[in-house]
Amino acid sequence: MSIPMMPAGPGGPGDPGGPGDPATTMLEPTATEHGTSLWRGAVQRLRRNPAAIIGALIVLAFVVVAIIAPLLAPYQPGTGEWAGQVTPGKVPGPSDEHVLGLDSFGSDMLTQLLYGARQSLVYGVVSTAVGLVVGASLGLLAGGFGAVGGRFGKAVDTLVMRLVDIMLSVPSLLLAVSIAAVLGKNAYAIIIAIGVAQVPIFARLLRGSMLAQGRSDYVLAASALGIRKRRIVMSHVLPNSLGPTIVQATLNLATAIIEVAALSYLGLGEGNPAVAEWGRMLVAAQDRFAVDPRLAIYPGVAIAITALGFTLFGEALREALDPRSRR
Amino acid sequence: MTGDDVLLRVEGLKVHYPIRSGLVLDRTVGHVKAVDGVDLEVPRGRTLGLVGESGCGKSTLGKAILRLAPVTEGSVYFDGTDVATLKGEKLRTMRRHLQMVFQDPLASLNPRQSVETILTEPLKAHGIRYDKATRVRELLDQVGLPTSAALKYPHEFSGGQRQRIGIARAIALEPQLVIADEPVSALDVSIQAQVLNLLDELQERLGLTYLVIAHDLAVVRHVSDEVAVMYLGGVVEQADSDALYATPRHPYTKALMSAVPVPDPGVEARRERIMLAGDLPSPADPPSGCRFHTRCPFRQETRCHDERPQLRLLAPGHRVACHWAEEIEAGTVRPHEVTAQEVADLQGS
Amino acid sequence: MTRTTGTTGNHPGREPLLAVRDLRVEFGLRGQRSTQAVDGVTFDIQPGEHVGLVGESGSGKSVTSLAVMGLLPRRGVRTSGEVRYDGRNLLDLGQSAMSKLRGRDIAMVFQDPMTSLNPVVTVGVQVAEVISRHNDVSKKEARDRAGDLLKRVGIPDPVRRLKEYPHQLSGGMRQRVLIAIALACNPRLLIADEPTTALDVTIQAQVLEVLKELVAETDAALLMITHDLGVVAGLCDRVNVMYSGRIVESTTRDVLFSQPRHPYTGGLLRSIPRLDSPRGEPLHAIPGSPTSTLPWTQGCAFAPRCERVVAACTDQPPALTDEGIRHVRCHHPLEPTDPVTDARSEVAR
Repeated sequence: MSIPMMPAGPGGPGDPGGPGDPATTMLEPTATEHGTSLWRGAVQRLRRNPAAIIGALIVLAFVVVAIIAPLLAPYQPGTGEWAGQVTPGKVPGPSDEHVLGLDSFGSDMLTQLLYGARQSLVYGVVSTAVGLVVGASLGLLAGGFGAVGGRFGKAVDTLVMRLVDIMLSVPSLLLAVSIAAVLGKNAYAIIIAIGVAQVPIFARLLRGSMLAQGRSDYVLAASALGIRKRRIVMSHVLPNSLGPTIVQATLNLATAIIEVAALSYLGLGEGNPAVAEWGRMLVAAQDRFAVDPRLAIYPGVAIAITALGFTLFGEALREALDPRSRR
Repeated sequence: MTGDDVLLRVEGLKVHYPIRSGLVLDRTVGHVKAVDGVDLEVPRGRTLGLVGESGCGKSTLGKAILRLAPVTEGSVYFDGTDVATLKGEKLRTMRRHLQMVFQDPLASLNPRQSVETILTEPLKAHGIRYDKATRVRELLDQVGLPTSAALKYPHEFSGGQRQRIGIARAIALEPQLVIADEPVSALDVSIQAQVLNLLDELQERLGLTYLVIAHDLAVVRHVSDEVAVMYLGGVVEQADSDALYATPRHPYTKALMSAVPVPDPGVEARRERIMLAGDLPSPADPPSGCRFHTRCPFRQETRCHDERPQLRLLAPGHRVACHWAEEIEAGTVRPHEVTAQEVADLQGS
Repeated sequence: MTRTTGTTGNHPGREPLLAVRDLRVEFGLRGQRSTQAVDGVTFDIQPGEHVGLVGESGSGKSVTSLAVMGLLPRRGVRTSGEVRYDGRNLLDLGQSAMSKLRGRDIAMVFQDPMTSLNPVVTVGVQVAEVISRHNDVSKKEARDRAGDLLKRVGIPDPVRRLKEYPHQLSGGMRQRVLIAIALACNPRLLIADEPTTALDVTIQAQVLEVLKELVAETDAALLMITHDLGVVAGLCDRVNVMYSGRIVESTTRDVLFSQPRHPYTGGLLRSIPRLDSPRGEPLHAIPGSPTSTLPWTQGCAFAPRCERVVAACTDQPPALTDEGIRHVRCHHPLEPTDPVTDARSEVAR
């Protein structure tokens, strides 16, 4: 049974959005020749959201710092040049030469932090990209077949998803340890471990939204029109299902950066302890935490702010892409 | 309206959905008989209305004809071809000729496609040559939308305009049959008349054949030449639109028509109501015999509960699926009161 | 203009049960452009009277009812005017005073019974809870009374139903339960917001019948909010027609249906396909959509869609003028002699 008086669009109690609003007047064509697509609308909403701006600024600052670290850094990273000044009881603090002081290996703290941004960005982005590409491909395969493939499609969907379930059942830490054991302690182990851990997340998310979209009326309409199944999947189901996956990727960047630090902290990452990497720096700082908390605070704050930036931006993106937030 | 100019003929159509249960083993524990043996004919260029309450299977029937719902049994002859047996590419190319207008215009339009893409995509899919600008303008013009609508997106239109886009998409392939599933029920009252008029206009201009599915009897009556009334998966009465409304012969049709509120206090005060008690039985466990016997005010001790009535020709062009239609007409079978309690007992719910 | 008998817009000397005066509701969160959902609405409800509030989506009819009940969210909503009940302005009452009033004095039935009922609590507990909240009765007595109530609203096997959860009931039964809850404490005013819109026609007829009977029995006044003029025709003594946040016509039911003066009311009545009207001709559609309005500050909101538009309509806002038997807000109203209901002598069966 239908509900004729309720508008199809958004509406709080009694649809406060409707009455007398000249913006929704549709009788006469408005001056704008081009309509506003959902993507463009989302960008407009993002630009109006202060959280999105702050998040974007942090992310942007992080990326810029990572890219131009060699120009900003006063010294070379990981040299341990001033190791002589470091004594078991004391690491030299801020001075004229070293704005943030030295680290426990006798390198310049600011330099280490700036180059650390680089490492984090590369590890975070590459591992998330690995997860996204592999996960979304599996999700697309399962979701696409599941949504329009009929009986055969359901079998493909089930097969792919059981595979993903198996991946999900392996703890990511264990996976990282195993990979590190095979490949040895290096950057690849971290990237693959973090990336593989993200695969099920993306696969399930994309498949879930594709199956949901697959049941919608416009997909039914497309089949009624005789549009080929592959096109239905690629140009109807997929574009409408990508939103949550993109948001998740942004949020995952934040966790990936933290995980890189965590795995490094556990000693699974970069073998060289003096290398500029935030997680490594935390490891090195823990011995001296009681006497010199500064050593842990700098990389800790760097990790936190970066993760916060990605999270803020991701959450704002989620809001902007949510069709219910459209006005 | 001769027999050989039938565009669509549905014969013994059944759509049964399995009910699955079990955590490990996917066992089928029963079937929802959404459509359970329906015969219909729609003559070329005419409109058949399909009316019934929610759960009667009218939407599923419409989708099954378009092969958007799985056909369990039966045939759907479109212009002589049995659509129900078509597969793959043959089915896909056939779709050109049968189109659909949906209930919820916003949900049935891809939110990420511009109107232009929405209207030209089906043309591309069927390899039809067209000049984009001209064809889009033509289609928009036919449904009364300005050319400037082409580059906009569905969410930028009002409900009525969205439904016009949906209709433009349906006629883009120049189909012969259009199935409209509740085409106006999601629209504001003052918009409904616009869309109904548009459907009428297009039929005349393009020679379309319609199957209009709706719960609103007044809407169906207005647009249809002939009307079929459905109850719980089967057609209980089918007749010329005027005849059906002038002399409804099936007890369910009588009750349905007397339940529709009429915007006229005089009529409302005077008319006799046949109030139906109880709820619609579950289509997973439909009553034996006549599906309507549990709620029927004319129910008799014999036949109703154990013999399923077939559609019978009672008057020229007027078919009724009721054992006692003649007696009810003659007044020898009188209505009696049915309480909700009785209905509940009979339906075992 | 001569006065006709019966209830009219004004009741000199009698204290209305509910007096809404210049009610305004403005929505707008910070940073967003605000919208005037209700724009100076004034109407009375006499004790025991049935009043209809009719309009399409965005007309402000539901917001009006929520404002009367004090159910609008506090954030981002500005409400002004007066809702006088029992010598008090309900808009000034605090949360606790208002919730004491709700249920006992003023009750409400919503469109969607599923969301109005708590899904994890049995029906019996929910009905009994309302009874014991407003009455000093024992638990057992409240439960017994709940059973009686369910029986009164026509639910078969009430003792068993009391132990069931909302999802185990059909839509019609859930709406009956809500009506039972609403009438549990013999309120003096029942506000029903589209109570039957989500229901099938035959179930709608049942529920409306129950509502009518119970309201008559308890002598409660009824404010019926609906888009369906058919429902109004069968149920209401007086009707207020809303458009874009303002009342555009207010009169008795009989006057409204026989000689509407506002072009919107007249247009609506003519645009609805009726079971008892001759078919074949196009419907008289109102052009445009309810979203294509003019701000009331610049003229008449209905002007962009009105076929009787004159220069004044886009120049200055029309005032609600008192014509004795009705109030109408229009610069160029229909003449009482203008034909609206064309030869519809034939009564629906």
